[in-house]
This record gives sequence, structure tokens and C-alpha cells, in this order.
Amino acid sequence: MEKELSELSFINTPSAKAKRFVVWLFVASSTIMFGGFTSYYIIFSASKGKGHGLVLPDAFLFSTVILILSSLCLFLAKRLVKQSNLSYQKVLLILTFVLGIVFGYMQFMAWGSLYRTGATLINNNAAISFIYVVSALHLLHIVGGLGVILNCIFGAFKPVSQDKLMFRLQIASIFWHFIDILWIYLYVFLLLNS
Amino acid sequence: MSTITLHDNQHNSHDDHGHHQESFLSKYVFSQDHKMIAKQFLITGVVMAVIGMVLSILFRIQLAWPDKTFPILETFLGKWAEGGRLQPDFYLALVTIHGTIMVFFVLTAGLSGTFSNLLIPLQIGARDMASPFLNMLSYWFFLCSCVIMMASFFIQTGPASSGWTIYPPLSALPKAMPGSGLGMTLWLISMVMFVASSLMGGINYVSTVLNMRTKGMDLWKMPLTIWAFFLTAILGVLSFPVLVAGVVLLIFDRSFGTSFYLSDIVLGTTILPNEGGSPILWQHLFWFLGHPEVYIVIMPALGISSEVISINSRKPIFGYHAMVYSLIGITTLSFIVWGHHMFVTGMNPFLGGVFMITTLIIAVPSAVKTFNYLATLWKGNIRFTPAMLFAIGLVSFFISGGLTGLFLGNASLDINLHDTYFVVAHFHLVMGSAAIFGMLSGVYHWFPKMFGRMMNAKLGYLHFWLTFISAYLVFFPLHFLGLDGVPRRYYAFTEFEFMQKWLTVNVFVTWAAILGALAQVAFLFNFFYSIFKGKKATENPWDANTLEWTTPVEHIHGNWAGEIPTVYRWPYDYSKPGAKEDFIPQTVPFSQTMESNLAHDFEGNSEAEEIQKNWNKQNNRVED
Repeated sequence: MEKELSELSFINTPSAKAKRFVVWLFVASSTIMFGGFTSYYIIFSASKGKGHGLVLPDAFLFSTVILILSSLCLFLAKRLVKQSNLSYQKVLLILTFVLGIVFGYMQFMAWGSLYRTGATLINNNAAISFIYVVSALHLLHIVGGLGVILNCIFGAFKPVSQDKLMFRLQIASIFWHFIDILWIYLYVFLLLNS
Repeated sequence: MSTITLHDNQHNSHDDHGHHQESFLSKYVFSQDHKMIAKQFLITGVVMAVIGMVLSILFRIQLAWPDKTFPILETFLGKWAEGGRLQPDFYLALVTIHGTIMVFFVLTAGLSGTFSNLLIPLQIGARDMASPFLNMLSYWFFLCSCVIMMASFFIQTGPASSGWTIYPPLSALPKAMPGSGLGMTLWLISMVMFVASSLMGGINYVSTVLNMRTKGMDLWKMPLTIWAFFLTAILGVLSFPVLVAGVVLLIFDRSFGTSFYLSDIVLGTTILPNEGGSPILWQHLFWFLGHPEVYIVIMPALGISSEVISINSRKPIFGYHAMVYSLIGITTLSFIVWGHHMFVTGMNPFLGGVFMITTLIIAVPSAVKTFNYLATLWKGNIRFTPAMLFAIGLVSFFISGGLTGLFLGNASLDINLHDTYFVVAHFHLVMGSAAIFGMLSGVYHWFPKMFGRMMNAKLGYLHFWLTFISAYLVFFPLHFLGLDGVPRRYYAFTEFEFMQKWLTVNVFVTWAAILGALAQVAFLFNFFYSIFKGKKATENPWDANTLEWTTPVEHIHGNWAGEIPTVYRWPYDYSKPGAKEDFIPQTVPFSQTMESNLAHDFEGNSEAEEIQKNWNKQNNRVED
């Protein structure tokens, strides 16, 4: 009885709070890194008087929609766990994961279509190379995020206690929603600064 | 209630540290205990510091005797010292790696890594860091990055040579010079790992300070060391990622042929295809980290000396709040001054003026801190322990090096002084020597907490005086070289007539540097000997107030055997009038010190004030 009690309260322990905060701090430092990238772009395009000058491939738009959908799945999965409805959340978690993979695939498609139009990575317009670099680094974040989602899926199948699963989902939500918003920011940034 | 708390503690410690039967590997190598990780950081930092120092002696020999040959150098360095003279390329590699090691590996990881790890959980009353696993990873990333950096000495083309700021194009074109090849690649890999290590460490420190303080430990009861480590970690978390952004673009320029920083370059007789980039953009990204980095280096040292000076003056720190606010001021300002490293890049003079103003404003919080150190020492009952001497040494260097910061921060003066030995003299005093002295002060002071034994004080005094004197003898004369226009990073001064007259000064400086290096033998012997054979330490050898001195001398997991102690007061109740002893630990409640309580101790709690008033009346005590 005592064990259950302490486990149920795990997500409210200082240790769990501190770990969630660690993820938030990671989000902050990652934001700053992309801030560094985009300020490079702003100063570059201001001093050279030009941006990338491209119409962004449609694949980027599709991938944005896919990423938003995967975020939505994760949100619903977390809500189901909160309501102790554990049956559907496995499906939703797997869906989140699959949509994440599809997102990665779409990014490769986007690079392919950029490459075919002649806007290659090795380019005398650094603004075009920039598109590849930021989207690749964002994709690295997605890879990390998929790991976190996988951790939740394993937790759902093992199964760990509801309390522990909730904690894993909290970590995953902070991170996954962040990289979702980050991509929207990067996409809109590239759209507006062509 | 108490049983549940106890159960929670056991549960947590079980969670955090795994099984209790520890193997050699889990205790000493892959340890997740913050105290062990602190020791790992310290010993790695000390080893790196010795390497960095040896490199500096090598290039000092070249600067003092550019025409002489030293066959022994060839014995050890082979073709890099052909004929017994350092090769110019190797000279550049030496200054580059010396800077990198000292700034990043010694004064960032060695200093913050050691003392943040040791003191944050111990001084705020936590059983360990927020994430002990991440903490362990932080050390291993750091060690790997040290090994990779050192590995570059064992490759054909030698280590990176474009200065610790690795400005492109030297860093961006693998064929620009020998050190731009594989050595530069290793530098970048090493630095990416280093940044990862710093971020994991810093994120952990911030989260631990904010979430895991013991009962009663509100922010304004934290020791100044914790404030300094906390703000340093914030600086790191907010500035290192920008360096990553810059380095990623640099890697693409080097390895994939992009043109982020490159344009219009002729290499030998070939015209390179890169166009449209700008090396100035690297400087912006680099110095957005680079300038906060110098505060990442100095702030922990300032925090340590606040603590050491207060304890050994047997006086409360003067202006506790002012000390905290000045640290916050320095932290904030450090993000908006990076342009002062770039006054001569052709920046708009108006922008230069803005950076100049923000830079000079930093003198205000710095001066507040200096003043408070001196005011704490004033009429103190000073105990000149080795730690105290090093802390006072820090104040000395901070003043003498800080003053020249006012010259360099001024754009019109900087145009003359930029890239001369004046800059070298400035930063070696204000961030080099000062931060090293803060670190050494911390080592002497917390050695008993780390290893359960005392360091030898007499050797400590010898170490202090020789190091203190030689540091001034080395760096003070360099100001005059700089004022005369002698540029830094030059291989030999024999080629320029106006520099000839400085050759004798260089000989003098080199001898002083050798003296300073020899002085470190006293420290190294003392350090390693005392780990095994030093006098056994007592639980609170310095009569200090902070929580770490309430833990047992023998290290245990979770730091305190029973419940974590509760904190009732700030950490600086030294020599309080009326008190029985000249120190009152933070764990002593006010109800036990009725004879020394002051009205402001109760922070407006009227009930407590009333109780105190009645007690005063009954015992005929008159409060001043």
C-alpha cells in the first residue's frame, strides 16, 4: 500500500519536477541554437541584400501538416492516460511515431526536389545552403524525439505503472510539441525571408 | 509522517544510485555520485592545466631565445622542433591549444565542473543532482573531448593552429596551413563534445538549484557560491548553443564546400569557387558565446572567493544582496557586449559606440564586487589560510586586470591596442590568473570535504607566494609591449627593428614563467600526497556555516545519513555580537541563539519579534 502511494505521487516529487525542468532547459538552449542560425540568416541577407529567393517545395508544407498531426496524436494519447483509458493510447502513440517517420521521409523528398531545381547544398548563395543545414539539424531533433516516443511505447506495452507512464508522456510531450513548434517557426521563417 | 518521509528517501536514493553493493567500476569510474564526479572533473582539470602550462613554457622559450637552439626540444618534439628550434607552424599550434585548454578545459569544466558538482547538492541540501545519469555523461563527454584534443598532437599535420577563436578562413579551409587540416577537424569534434558536456552539466545545475533545495533554503539564504554557479550555468545554457550553430556552419564550409564564411579567396595560385559568405558572421556567432564565456570562467571564482573571504575574515560578507545583484548584472550585460571584440572589423562606428557603452557599464557591478570584498576584509579577524591568500590574490588580479579592461573597452583606444600584448596582459590577469586563483582557493578550502584530509599549509604558502609574484612578473611587463604596438601571436620578434628592444623583457618574462611553473610542483606534490597521506580532516575544519560542513567526513550516498537538515538563517552569521561562538551554522534555529538575534533576522514575523522582545526584557538584553 505504501509503495503504491509513493509511486502514484512520483510525478509530483521534487526529483520528477527537476527532471521535467531539465527538459525545459534543453528546449531553451535548443531554441537559442536555432536563434543563432536564424540570426546568421538575417544578418547575411541584410548585408548581401538577398535571401534564398526560392519557392519552397510543397513537401515542406506536407511535412508541416504531418508533424502537426503527430503532435495532435501525442496530445490525445496523453489525455487518454490521464483519464485512465489505456486501450487506445497505444495506437495513438504508435501513430505519433509513424507520423514522425513520415515527416523525416518528407524532408528527404523536399531536399530531393530542391536539389533537382538546382538549389544544391553547395551553393554560392549561403542562404540556400542554410535551408539544408537548419532542416537537417531539426531532423536530428526529430530522431531524438522518436527515441523519447519509443520510450513511451515500450512503457505502454511493458506495462509500467500509470504514474511512470504519465511521467514519460510528460517528458515526451514537452519535447515533441517543442520540435513541432520549432519546425513551424523555421518553415514560416524561410517562407517570409525568401 | 516521518515514516513516509523516510520511505521516500530510501526510495529516491535507490532510484538514483542503483544497487548499494558498489563495484570498483560503479564507484570510481562510471560513478553517478556528484562528489565523485566533482573529483573526476578536478583531477582531469589539474592534468589539463599542467599540459596547458607546459605548452606555454615551450612557446615562452621560443619568444625569449628565438635564435638559440635547444636540441632537447628536437628529442621530444621531433620535426616540430627541427634543429632544436620550434617551427612557426607548431608555435601557432601551441598558442591555439594553450588557449583552448586553459579557457575551456581548465577554467570552464575544471572549475565549474568541480565546484558546481561538489557544492550545489551539498550547500543547498540535496541528495544529488536532478539527473545523476546526465551528470555522469557530462563528465565522460568532457573526458572524451580532452582526449580528442590531445590526440591532435599525435597526427602528422599537428593540432589546430588558427588561435582559440578559430577564425575562418584559416579554420574553414583545410589546406590553408598544416594545422587547418585534420587538427582543426579534431578541434571541432572535441569542441562539439565539450559543448554537449557543458550543456548537460549546466542544465543539471540550474534545475537542481531551482527544484531541490532543502526546507528553509530560500533563494536569499543561498551561499554566494551557489548564486555564482547558478548564474554561470544559466550563462552557459544560453550562450554555448550559439557556438554550436556557428560550428555547424563552419563544419559545412570545411567538409561540404558551402560558403557560409568564405568569399573571394585565392589559395596559392588557385582561385576558390566559394562566394558570398562573410568571415565576420563567424565572429558574431563566436563572440556571442565567447564573451559570456569569460564570465563563465570568472564568476565561479568570484563566488568561491566571496565564501572563502567571509569565512576567513570571520565577518558576514559585506553587501550580500549587492553581491547577488552585481552577479545578475554581469550575467545580463555579458550578452550585449560581444561587439567589443570586433571594433576593428569595420563595424559601423555608431554600433561600436553602443557596444562601448554596454562594455563600460560592466565596470559598475565589477567595482561593487571588488569594493565588497575589501569591505569584508576591513577590520576582519583574518585567518591567513592558503585558501584565503588565493582569494585575496584573486581580488588583486581582478583589480589590476580589470582596470585595463576600461582601456580596451574604449573603441578609440582599442583600435591601437587590438591584437597587441596589451590584450594578452589584460585577460591573463583578469580572467586567467584571477580565475585560476579562485579555483586554487576552492581546492585548498574544500579539499577536506572532497578527500577527508587536509592539505599542507606550509607548502600552500610557498605555492601562493611564488605563483602570485611570478604571475605579476610575467603579465605586468606585457602591458608595455602592447602599448608599444608589439602584436600577439607572432613567432619571433627578431625580424622587426622596433621590437628588438623588447627581447630582453621577453627573456625576463620567460624566466618568471619558468619560476611560476616550478611553483606548481609544490601544489601538485601537496595535492596528490595529501589525498593519501594528509592529516585527517575534522567535520568542520574552518568553522564555517554552510551545509556541506554538516555532512560526515566519510562520504555516503545521499550526503546525509538521516533527514536532510533544515535551514533557518543565511550563511554569513560570523562574529555575531552576543553569540557564544564566532560562527552560527545555517542549521541552528533562532530559538537557540536568543542572545544574538537581531530584529531584522525575523524578516517581519511579528510573533517571533514579540518572543524575542520578551526574552530580551527578561534577560536585560539591549539590542543595538
